[in-house]
Amino acid sequence: MRGADRNLLSVRGLVVRYPAGVQSNAPLTAVRGVDLDIPQEGIYGLVGESGSGKSSLAHAILQLNPVAAGQALWHGQDLVSMKGSQLRSARKKIQLVFQDPLASLSPRRSILQTLVEPLDHFGIGQAGTGKAGRREEQASAALETVGLSPDLRHRYPSELSGGQRQRVALARALITEPELIIADEPVSSLDVSVQARIIELILELREKLGIAFLFVSHDLAVVGQLADTVGVMYLGKIVEQGAAEDVFARPAHPYTRALLAAVPVPDPDHPRPEVLKGEPPSPLTPPSGCVFHKRCPEPITPCSTVVPTETSLGGRNFSTVETRDSQITDHRVRCHLWDSTKN
Amino acid sequence: MSKPVLTVRNLRVSIRSQDKGAMAVDGVSFALRQGEVLAVVGESGCGKTKTAESILGLLPTDTWDVQAEAIELDGVSLPMQSERKMRKIRGREISMIFQEPQTALDPVFTIGNQLCSIYRRHRNKNRKEATLAALDKLQQVGFADPRRILHSYAHQLSGGMRQRVMITMAMACRPRVLIADEPTTALDVTTQAQVLSRMTLLGREFGTSILLITHDLGIVAQYCDRVLVMHDGRIVEKATVHELFTDPQQPYTRRLLAAVPKVRTA
Repeated sequence: MRGADRNLLSVRGLVVRYPAGVQSNAPLTAVRGVDLDIPQEGIYGLVGESGSGKSSLAHAILQLNPVAAGQALWHGQDLVSMKGSQLRSARKKIQLVFQDPLASLSPRRSILQTLVEPLDHFGIGQAGTGKAGRREEQASAALETVGLSPDLRHRYPSELSGGQRQRVALARALITEPELIIADEPVSSLDVSVQARIIELILELREKLGIAFLFVSHDLAVVGQLADTVGVMYLGKIVEQGAAEDVFARPAHPYTRALLAAVPVPDPDHPRPEVLKGEPPSPLTPPSGCVFHKRCPEPITPCSTVVPTETSLGGRNFSTVETRDSQITDHRVRCHLWDSTKN
Repeated sequence: MSKPVLTVRNLRVSIRSQDKGAMAVDGVSFALRQGEVLAVVGESGCGKTKTAESILGLLPTDTWDVQAEAIELDGVSLPMQSERKMRKIRGREISMIFQEPQTALDPVFTIGNQLCSIYRRHRNKNRKEATLAALDKLQQVGFADPRRILHSYAHQLSGGMRQRVMITMAMACRPRVLIADEPTTALDVTTQAQVLSRMTLLGREFGTSILLITHDLGIVAQYCDRVLVMHDGRIVEKATVHELFTDPQQPYTRRLLAAVPKVRTA
């Protein structure tokens, strides 16, 4: 595949299925065949409603969820089949940041202890005399990178504000010098002004350290501020993806349009958000044909019976970092409304 | 101008243990008019939730010191009421919905059980009448299959469904005032639009005045009539929604407006 080597992470046909359990007596397929590419220093924004499978997908990349089929190619090697030390060294380069830092940071460990743990776990830095001192320096440096004072290292998570905690979570991810950070709703629990600062920080980390991000969020406005590429997920499938400019300026899938129309605009003269009818369907009993047809404002004949395939709407030249080669990101949509544009 | 339903004058709330500590709410005064949707915006910690909780007398008096020149509902002073009287006022005259409906709903009773108990307690209906009223109201907030909802437990519903159940419960007695504290912060945008439009629609139908606490200026612009901007326990700006967005007076308000992320659409 041309250009595949330039991708840090290539997900191909990934299926995540949870075994039958307490909640249901049938296995639940949360992700139904997803393809996505994240280039070096790229920021991929994955959006969708709760239950769309976006977190299942993000966690499955690190084998934190049961993968039933498909691949996640990291520098061309499949993460899904990795084991032991190989998986360990890959995980060192792919770090996770979660939505609620109060839940992801241990309340009984000081910030220093939290920051040092990944170093010990991955055996980073030499052992021997002066190790503790060097560790402390590394932790202080990581705190400075995320814009916090190193003095905070002796504090506990409960003594920090929400924004500070999320910065600590980012520092903890950064300390192993990752190439990719998977951020699962990292700003959803924060105030807008704090959100804006964390977004700035993420853009800065990409700029200075060349880190790529898989940024999972239900907030289109937030994703629009930082992603180069956007994928919109609905019931386990990416229904539309492409360069962020394309998807936001010319949303092709009725679901993407509905998501965009539902965001309240801070302008009293703007019409009120439109209400999408119905509830998201259960992944246990997905509708036939296009999974969105029951809520779709413009369904046509084949929608209820035929599963739509992906249609390309053409690419666009874009470059995430000015010095890097530009590359084409295809704008693709899964919707029968675009069937006629198929060649 | 319609007369105020709820009047709050010089409300001051502080933690008792701190002898010279910061005031959580520091001299807040406002009037909520008949049938309007009044937004209270501000960042976390600005005192907007504490304002709401002190109106309803929900702050434990051993830890919180609540002082006010007046907190009046239709001219009746709320702090003067006995706890027994307040219990009647809450739910019937003023009701409240919270950010996380999961914590507000009882996990061991069905939705029907919880919803019907309101009609039986506050509206003196018998079991059958209460069930019918509950079904009717659930339909009004947009449930296609209200009977199934009645037999469900909170954990079986999605966040948006739970919040619509909460609205049904809060509006069951056609209250004079509904206080909604960040009702859609935990929800998706699509569900948010659904919940807010149902809530404001019911408010208009029943003539309920709504005090909507939020940090989202998009919601303020689209669903509210007037707005109070809070910062550090004080109201820094009072305006109609139109004034606020066209001509914000305070630097803090301008900073808040500037921080709002905008969707890039053509």
